Amino acid sequence: MSLPRVLLERLSVRHLRNLSHVDLEPARRVNVIGGNNGQGKTSLLEAVYLACTSKSFRTARPAELIQHGSDTGSARARLADYGDDDGPAPIAREQTVAVQGRRVQVRTDGNRPASLAEFATRSPVVAFHPDELTLSTGPAQGRRTLLDRLALFMQPTSGDHRARYQRSLRSRHVLLRRPSPDEAEILAFERLAAHHGAAITRARAAAATALIAELLPAFDRIAAPGLVLGACYAPGGTADPDEAIEQLARHRARDAHRPTASFGPHRDDLALTLDGHPVRAVASQGQHRALTLALKAAETASVASARGVEPMLLLDDVSSELDPDRTEALFTFLGLTRGQLFLTTTRRDLIVTPGVDAADRRDFEVQDGKLHAVR
Amino acid sequence: MLAAGSYRGSPRVGSSTAGLPEGLARVVQLLARLPGVGEKTAQRFALHLVTGDEETARELGRELATLPDRVRPCVRCGNVAETSRDEAEAAEGAVCAICRDGRRDPALICVVARVQDLIAIERSGAMRGRYFVLGRLLSPLEGVGADELPIDRLRSRVRDAQAPVTEVLVATPPSVDGEATALLVARELGTLGVKVTRIASGVPHGGDLEFADQVTLGRAIEGRKSFG
Repeated sequence: MSLPRVLLERLSVRHLRNLSHVDLEPARRVNVIGGNNGQGKTSLLEAVYLACTSKSFRTARPAELIQHGSDTGSARARLADYGDDDGPAPIAREQTVAVQGRRVQVRTDGNRPASLAEFATRSPVVAFHPDELTLSTGPAQGRRTLLDRLALFMQPTSGDHRARYQRSLRSRHVLLRRPSPDEAEILAFERLAAHHGAAITRARAAAATALIAELLPAFDRIAAPGLVLGACYAPGGTADPDEAIEQLARHRARDAHRPTASFGPHRDDLALTLDGHPVRAVASQGQHRALTLALKAAETASVASARGVEPMLLLDDVSSELDPDRTEALFTFLGLTRGQLFLTTTRRDLIVTPGVDAADRRDFEVQDGKLHAVR
Repeated sequence: MLAAGSYRGSPRVGSSTAGLPEGLARVVQLLARLPGVGEKTAQRFALHLVTGDEETARELGRELATLPDRVRPCVRCGNVAETSRDEAEAAEGAVCAICRDGRRDPALICVVARVQDLIAIERSGAMRGRYFVLGRLLSPLEGVGADELPIDRLRSRVRDAQAPVTEVLVATPPSVDGEATALLVARELGTLGVKVTRIASGVPHGGDLEFADQVTLGRAIEGRKSFG
């Protein structure tokens, strides 16, 4: 039996980026958002992401989201989890995220959720934007963030451990840089860093196992045949707090002169190999692209099984994909997903969706912050 | 909108107290030193006192003038204490009602960060021992180091031969700084042969589990105890 899918039924955006007043009623399967650069296509996807997660995929500073000249911006989404078509119609919920200054206020059906983690995992959504094109070759931070997004669905407390880990580690670092640091004080923060770090290591290991199980088959379908992909979690820390305490204590002198600690989950990576060699060194442009698409397909599939609901998929700026070689990889990727799809492009005419009923696709144009339905 | 914009854009003459009579401006500046009171709130308080409620202003003045002489931190625990009318006693410093209460268990001390936390725990009625107020939490990121915590005073309190302490309950908040402070206190007292305990963290009483947030519930499960 297939999983239910979360569907966005309606979105109202007020004063976010250059979108002063946008109402969107999307189709259930494919939504193509066209328009020239700088018109607000990405901002529309960002508003969907914001309403579902309370975060942006473009910035960590909420104030940047508010339209210039306005003091509050908001996104309100009506969402529902649709099961098999014969079942009774699901009950929709309304998720609202309002940004005022640096404050972000979230509501589900007018009520405060018990926690931000609960809000952010209620309506799963996976975003794929141009910054992530370096997911396979770029800095490990991108791959850690991917594991953390998945971990939040599998272990909701992992976000809290992350925040506490970072504060403990920063505190330790400030202490280490003092001329005559207090041993007992450093040890107190090292014990906390070890405790929360071990929890992060356990959560990421579980997330990596779930992700890799989906990644290998996805890569086989997207990439040229004959390539053997290897993937494993490469922890920078340990799941054993006692070992972490020992490691941190041993490296104090060295760590004092570095930007951060030389041991711990902030150095984690998801190690990727092709035919036994690190992908960074050997993969071609096309192989990287296939791997990045496979990583996103694996994220989508593992979020779906962790949450029990097929996530929405937001694809920003697929225009660059539209040469013949890449198009095939992209459409294989899309074939691997079942969720509601939103994609932005400067060339709407090139997005062909042969397997999709006309009723299940809707096209829009964004121009100067205004949205028009075109078919 | 336009008026507000041009007002903001006009050159600032001193602070927001500029143009107020000097006596009033000084009161505004003093009130603004209080925690949680910004300049606007301070100005509102001060204007209320001079324009609407003269009696409150005079009474407040009288009370405040003598407050530091009448109420001081308790020399034993740091709680608020009334100073003694007896001159000889007053010279030794103020001792709070809890430290003077003979029915309290002298062998149990609860360590808290602030007097507000002490008051909250007192309200629970569950604490039968006495207290020790640290006054602050360890926080390297906010520039508070171990040398600024009254650890030496706590140690001598625990070692007091006249009233031996057997258990120290650390009730600092469950934040990173609160936990680090608790670990530091535990380590500093560990060599004194006293039992150090930590308040549990978990689900609020009367709350249904289904309404507890995931993080609180997760911490409650991590900190579970054997039972039955």
